[in-house]
Parts: sequence; C-alpha cells; structure tokens
Amino acid sequence: MNKIVFMSLLAGVSLFSANYSSVISSPNASKLIQKDLLAPATKYTMPAGCITKDPNAIARGAFIFHNLNGKKAKKKPPKGLSRKQMKPGVTYHQGDKIPAKQYGNCIACHNIEGAHGAGNIGPDLSNYKKTYIDSGARNYQFVFQKIADPRIDNPKTNMTVNLTTKLFTTKEICEIASYIVSPK
Amino acid sequence: MKTGIKIVLSIALFSSLSFSNEQFAMSDADRAMYAEMSENNPADIMVADGEELLDYMGGDEGLAKYLGVTEDELPAYIAGFPRYIKKFDMVVGLDQVIQAMMHDTGKKPFKLKSGNMFSLLAYVKSIANGEKINIDVNANAQMKAAYTLGKKTFMTKRGGRGLGCISCHSSDVVGSVLRTQPLPDLGAKGVASAATWPAYRMTKSSLRTLQRRFQGCMKNALIKVIPLGSPEMVALEVYLTAEAKGSKIAIPGLKR
Ligand code: HEC
Ligand code: HEC
Repeated sequence: MNKIVFMSLLAGVSLFSANYSSVISSPNASKLIQKDLLAPATKYTMPAGCITKDPNAIARGAFIFHNLNGKKAKKKPPKGLSRKQMKPGVTYHQGDKIPAKQYGNCIACHNIEGAHGAGNIGPDLSNYKKTYIDSGARNYQFVFQKIADPRIDNPKTNMTVNLTTKLFTTKEICEIASYIVSPK
Repeated sequence: MKTGIKIVLSIALFSSLSFSNEQFAMSDADRAMYAEMSENNPADIMVADGEELLDYMGGDEGLAKYLGVTEDELPAYIAGFPRYIKKFDMVVGLDQVIQAMMHDTGKKPFKLKSGNMFSLLAYVKSIANGEKINIDVNANAQMKAAYTLGKKTFMTKRGGRGLGCISCHSSDVVGSVLRTQPLPDLGAKGVASAATWPAYRMTKSSLRTLQRRFQGCMKNALIKVIPLGSPEMVALEVYLTAEAKGSKIAIPGLKR
C-alpha cells in the first residue's frame, strides 16, 4: 500500500475527494526510462588481432549471430560461450538469479549463410567477404564499428547497438565480426 | 446497449501475412486456425464478462452518467479516449476511468493488469464499435503534452539493444520482416492498432490490451518494461490512437 492511499484512509477519503491520485493507478515510469536510456553514439577502434581465423572464435561469433539468448538457444553453445550471463550488473539484466545470456539475434534482421527464418530489415550479409571485403567496399574496422555502435555512420539506423549498451564485450564483437567476414 | 458484441477482426495483419513466402511463420495450419477463430473470437466471452462486471456499476447507463454524457453520446465519447478529464486532473485511459468509477460506486478498483480489468476495458471500448476514433490531441494543454510525451517515448532508444519503438515501426521498415514476422504499420487503415485492441492474441491464448501489447514489444526488444497506466504508457496510447484517428473501432480484435 503506498503512502498516499494510507494517508487518505487515515484522514478520510472526503478530504481528498477531488484527488484521484490514490484511486487511479498512474505509477511512475520516468525513472525506469531514465536509467534505461541509450548512451550517445560512440566511436571505437578495433583492437589489434580482432579479426581472427580461429575456428572456435568464429563458432562463438556464429552462435551469437544466430541465437536470441541462452534460454531459447536449442543447441549447446560452443566452447567458451555460456548460456548464462555470469556478470550481473555488467549487462542489461540484474537480479538475484543468474540471468540467461543475451545473444545477438542478428538473423532477426539479416540473412546470412545457413540462417533459419531470417528477417530483411537489414541488408543480406551472405557472401559478405567476397561482396564487401574483397571488393574493398568495406574494411574490418567498419564491420567492427557497425556492430559495436551502428549510429556512427548512420545516425538514423534501425540496427541494435551492441557495445555501447554493454550487451557484448569487445572480444565478443570481434568474434561476431570475424564470423561475418569469414569465408563460408 | 445490450445488443451483443460485434465480432470484427483486423484482417490487415492476416492479409499482410497471406502472400506465399515460406519463411513466414503463419503456416497453412495457422491460417486455417485464424480463419476459424475470426468466425468465433475466443475473446467474445471475456467481453461478455466485462459487460456483466459493468452491470454491477449500472451498466452503460451508469457509465454514461458517470462520464457526464447521454447514453446516445456514449459510443462517440468512448471513441475519443484517452482524454483529459478535469475531475481527475489527468489524461486517462478507459481502464483508469473504470478504476475511478469503481471507487466512486464504493467498490475496490481492479488493478490495471487484472484479467477482470482487461475484460471490463474490452467491453467498455466495444461500446464504441463502428465509431471512428476521434481523439483530439489539441483539445487542451494536457492532451498536447500527452501527445508530445507519447511521441517522445515512441522515439526514445533504450534498453540492452538500444532499440526504440521507432526502430521497428517507422515507415521505412514497415512491411519488412523481423525474424519471421512482418512489421505492422501501427497507424495504417486496417491495422490501426488503437482501433483493434483489446484483442485476442492467438500466440498468448488470452485477451490483451493495447498497453499490454506495448509491454510485449518492450520485453522482446530488451527495452525495460514500464507499468500499465504510467503517464508514458497512457501517452504512448494517445500517440498511437492519434495515428489511427478516423479508423473504425472493432473490438475485440484478433491477432497472431
Ligand atoms: C533490428 C534490426 C537489426 C538487428 C537486430 C541487427 N541489425 Fe545489422 N543492420 C540493420 C540495418 C537496418 C542495417 C543497415 C543500416 C545501417 O547500416 O545502419 C544493418 C547493417 C549491418 C551491417 C553493415 C552491412 C554493410 O556492410 O553495409 C552489419 C555488418 C550488421 N548490420 C551486422 C549485424 C550484427 C552482427 C547483428 C547482431 C549482433 C545485427 N546486425 C543486428 C538492422 C539490424
Ligand atoms: C525489435 C522490433 C520491435 C520493437 C523495438 C517494437 N516492436 Fe512492436 N511489433 C514488432 C513486431 C514484429 C510486431 C508484430 C508481431 C506479431 O504479429 O506477432 C509488433 C507489433 C506491435 C503492435 C501490435 C500491432 C497490431 O495492432 O497488431 C503494437 C501496438 C506495437 N508493436 C507497439 C510497439 C511499441 C509501442 C513499441 C515500443 C515500446 C514497439 N512496438 C517496439 C516489433 C517491434
């Protein structure tokens, strides 16, 4: 029971007859929203050795790309990737239970080799190496920045922000990028 | 107005799903189920429950009186919600009006998220079936402010993935596919979300309200879910109702 209801009960409702704030539920949401706001667009520099040919790293990147979260993922995550979010407070979810780890769910918006039920809000990333990298249209830094914070080269983007939100670590962004640019 | 509840469905989503692309989740079996349910919306029972609940407070007549309009004026008046109501000194949705009315008739108001409230809200809104949404967002400073807040809330990017409602419901992505779901145009004739909720959601097997639907999108997109009835929720409803202005109200809707 909130304070106002309690007070109005004590004082008699008639005193507050013109005040419906204790009758009509109108909970505060602005604090929730404030804490949840997206930080400004941030520019990142890809660390040395970011893009790798290590098959384990690429497998983790692929898994993050194709799955929504640790609870929903049907297959077992590859070595080095957890179903649970082991660092409470670092990512979006907090609470007493260890939450499921969020993955990228990139296929919600992008088609790519082997995708099931891919969306088309974002461009098709199939054959990315040949089409975008080997042709010189994109470089690794671009791909890294796009996944980390796509607002830098497109302020009106509809894409998710993945590093500025701390959804993923720099290492994970590197693994996702390595998967996209790998030959498939 | 005991004429029974009009069964109308929002066919727009259905028709947008009906082109034959295999990646869409609506299989032939889904489509058959949709066709069957549209003949006999499971939410009709909940709407009837809502009618019964309102009867305890004097029915349509009692509601009209409470709102200071005649029973004839009631449908068009309902088609203008959310509204600023001076007596409450706030912009309120129909569910919040019901809370106030329950209180003033000596009952303990239902919680906004209770099943009984969803039923009541669905019935009360169905009184306006066939009416065109006539919300006036310029009626007063409070409505103007609510519209502005709603628009802002719609545009605001937040949460674990940095998404806003606008990310998936802006005109440049409407019709694109998210995973297997075509993105609906919330204001478009035919979808006109504000005119078709409360609705029965087949994937949830239950009656859901518009604000409850917003919460569903927030949860899915990792946007922190805000409570029903909060000023921002009501404002979002104001914003999307304005987007659907002129659309015919058809409650209960039927949604995937
Ligand atoms: C909600 C939709 C959405 C999701 C989810 C999404 N993207 Fe995107 N993505 C887009 C859109 C839209 C664009 C094109 C506009 C732009 O460049 O900002 C894009 C562009 C890209 C590009 C640039 C392609 C190019 O070379 O022009 C890459 C790479 C990319 N996305 C990777 C990812 C990865 C990796 C994930 C998951 C971690 C992801 N996307 C999740 C919508 C999305
Ligand atoms: C990541 C994408 C995404 C985001 C972000 C998103 N939505 Fe949705 N929304 C969808 C999809 C997809 C559907 C259709 C789902 C279906 O048919 O089951 C939908 C459906 C809806 C509907 C129901 C449409 C109808 O009448 O049938 C409403 C209302 C809605 N969204 C409002 C919102 C609001 C408000 C927000 C922000 C708080 C929001 N959405 C954020 C993807 C999104």
